[in-house]
Parts: sequence; structure tokens; C-alpha cells
Amino acid sequence: MLGKLIKYDLKVSSKLFILLHAAYLFVCIISRILYMNKLDFKGPEEPVIISLALFISVLSILMTALMIFTELHIAFRFYRSMFSREGYLSWTLPVSGTQHLWAKIISGYILAAADIILIAVGILILITGRNITSAYSLIADEMTNELGMPLERFALLLFTFCVVSCISTVIMIYFCIVIGQLFPGHRVLCAIAAYFILSTALQVFTLLIMLAFGIFPGHNFFMAKGQTMTEYMTNIFYVSAVLTIIITIVQYVITHYIMNKKINLL
Amino acid sequence: MRPILECQRLTKKYGSFFALSDLNLSLDRGQIVGLLGPNGSGKTTLIKLANGLLIPTDGHIMINGLAPGPDTKKIVSYLPDRSFFNEHLRVKDMLSYYADFYRNFSTEQAKKMLDALEIDKHSRLSSLSKGTREKVHLVLVMSRDADLYILDEPIGGVDPAARDYILRTILTNYKENATVLISTHLISDIENVLDRVIFLRDGQIALNTSVDEIRTEYGKSVDTLFREVFKC
Repeated sequence: MLGKLIKYDLKVSSKLFILLHAAYLFVCIISRILYMNKLDFKGPEEPVIISLALFISVLSILMTALMIFTELHIAFRFYRSMFSREGYLSWTLPVSGTQHLWAKIISGYILAAADIILIAVGILILITGRNITSAYSLIADEMTNELGMPLERFALLLFTFCVVSCISTVIMIYFCIVIGQLFPGHRVLCAIAAYFILSTALQVFTLLIMLAFGIFPGHNFFMAKGQTMTEYMTNIFYVSAVLTIIITIVQYVITHYIMNKKINLL
Repeated sequence: MRPILECQRLTKKYGSFFALSDLNLSLDRGQIVGLLGPNGSGKTTLIKLANGLLIPTDGHIMINGLAPGPDTKKIVSYLPDRSFFNEHLRVKDMLSYYADFYRNFSTEQAKKMLDALEIDKHSRLSSLSKGTREKVHLVLVMSRDADLYILDEPIGGVDPAARDYILRTILTNYKENATVLISTHLISDIENVLDRVIFLRDGQIALNTSVDEIRTEYGKSVDTLFREVFKC
């Protein structure tokens, strides 16, 4: 049953997702051909810097929009299929609340992870031109010193962290929606309120933990070089990973409880 | 044999409002039961509780001796009072969906019924009229070989000619020891097919008797008795 639930969920959610991500990859390919491949790093610096800054800004907006779309899409699908009129069908299938939840977590994770992977593919399309790689080779050593590791390794770590941490994003979205479901008169409003309250609380909590562990960036942070920077990044990574795991488990347990014991489709 | 539906002191509160209050009910197999009552009497609440869409505030509801859950949902075929389709899908997608999730669903029977109603299986649900969508719902629900059919307002949105077809469909598509629980306001249309009626008022049972008893004891039709009992 779990497989069937995931299959139907992906079938319904994938169309728009594929369309938008295909458009993004198309933009990346076109940008590579018409813009990136034509960048000349041997000529005057200023025009290159200005045009690159502009291009990176536009592309960042596009990527952020794509990530926000994916998160909203996951949220809408969960809400619509479980708590709107489509819920009358979902909740009368011979399936438990736990199976529903896992099907949604897996299908939501597939979409969220695919979003990160496709965004990374787009970036790779843009930056793997010969002119870019040869220009980067000139500053590679300096960059490695700054990061404390080669850029490729740093990017791979960041990518892996993003792909793995998608699961916490998905569970947090579902958690907020099921909390909203406890207030039948204002389900959507309460879900949004739960999201903002939770996000703020988590940020304050993370800040306190960072202060407690002495890894809150102080005035000397921007001076940090080499090993110091790596140490700082590693500490941040460990603290945020542990915090994320704990918070995600708590959110899952509460979501699981509500999905099995507190469903009221009015 | 166990009752197919049993409620013991069943209570459901919305805030301070009692939608159902201390309701006791037992339904045997092999009958068509009309669940009747004015708006706000608790009909849909009772139906939702039987389908596990609501959690009781107090008391119990049992389907074939079990609390609503995956096992009871296998044997209950439910038609809600609203469209539950994802309207981007086509009729044939819904047939596959039902066939995938319900082992007791007959795709062949559903196709036959759709053909009889001249509904194109390739149509998108969003392109169908409200009445046709209701017919598709009913086809899906009645194409299951269930033990309990729960139909919430099955004929409310269709024309009188289609009503006759739907009632015939209900009569001809349920097996002998299955029970059909129908909630509706259109009593005169369905009273000829009913074996038993339950009148609900303010979340409690006002009357639970067979249609034959109403005719012999009260000398009235169900529709007339309903109008007298719930006179405004």
C-alpha cells in the first residue's frame, strides 16, 4: 500500500514540478551557451565583474523561487490530499495514518531532494565551461587555503548536507500543517502561524546554542583564515546537524500522534 | 452474527455544541436503512465517525466489531456529501485508483455502469457537470463488493431521471447480507427502497423502526411521518 500511495502522490505532484525544473535547466543551458562560454577573464575586469554580479543575482532569485515553489508544492499537496475535500478519499482508503504519513514523507522528500539535485545540475552546467575552470585554476590554491579544503570537496559536503537535510524541511512542513489542522476554523492560517512561530523559535534557540558553545561569529570571524574557517564551519555543521535531528524527531513524533489520534475532517 | 454497525454512548462535540449525544444504535446486515433528520441533526457526523474521519469525543463506534481503521475501511464503501476527486485526473484514472486500493472493486462492473450512464472514461473530472461527477462517485462506490455502503446524500444533485437509475443501481449492486445506510432529505424518492428508517434529532435517535411498522402502526408514509415529527 505504501508503494501505491507514493506512486499516486508523485503522479499528481510531478507534472508542474517537472515543467518548472525543465525550464530552469533550459535557462541554464542557454545561459551557458550565450553568456558563460563568452566570458573573457583575460580582458578588463570591471565589465566582467558587473555582468557576473548581475547574472548571479538573477540566477539566485530563480533558484530561490524554485526552492520556495517546491516547498509550497509539497505543503499544498499534503494539505489538499489529507485535509481538504480530497481527504475524504485519502482517509477512507484501507491505510493507516502512519502509512499515509510515510508515503507523504517519502514522496515529499523525493521532490525536495530532486529540487536540490536539479539546482546543483544547473550550477554545474553553468560553471563547467573551459574558460571558467581555467580561470578558477588561477585562484584554486588561494581558495583552498581560505576554505581549508578544495572547493570541490566543500561543494560536495554542502550538497550532501542539503540533500540529507531536506527530510527535516519536509517533516517541518507536515508538522505545521497538522498543527493547523487542530484548529478547524482556521486551518491554513494556523499552519502558517505555526511555521513562522516555529522558525523564529528555532532561530532563537540555535543562536542560544551557538552562544553557549562559543561558536557565535564574533568580530574576529571575518578575519578567520584557513584552519580557523574550517574549524568554524565544522562546528556549525555538527551543532546544526544535531539540532536538526533532535527537532525533526520531535516534530515527527507529534505529527505521527496527530495523524493517528486527532484527525477531524469537518 | 455481529451487527455491521454499532454505536455505544457515542458522543461528538464541536466546541460546546453536541453534534451527537449518548447515541446507541445497532444495525444488522442485509437491509437498506434511511438515516433521516433535519439539517444539523448529526447525520453527517455519524457517517464521518463510522468512516474514521472524525474521532469520537466519548463512547464507541464499531464496524463489524472493530473500531474504524484500515480493516473496517476494506469493508465500508463510502460516498461523501461532497466531491472528493482530484479534478485534474480522468475518470479512467479513478477506476485504476479504486482498483489499486480496494481489492473488492470491480473495474468491469464500473465500466458497465459508466457505459450505461454514457460517461466517457477518458473525460477529465473537471470537465464533467456536477451531476455527472456525482454519478461517477456513485459508480465507484457501488462497484465495490462491500459489507456496508454508506451514502451521504447520493441523489441530492442529480435530475429525477438519474435518481431512478441511481436507486436501481443501489438495489441491484449490493449483495444480500450487505447493509446500505442512506442519508438524504429526498425521502419520498427513496422510501420505497428502504427497509428501516432512523430519525435523528439534535444528535439523538428520535425513531428507529422498520418501514413496514411505520405503515402498519402509524398508517402513514415515511415522508408524512418525517414531516410530522420534524414540523417547524
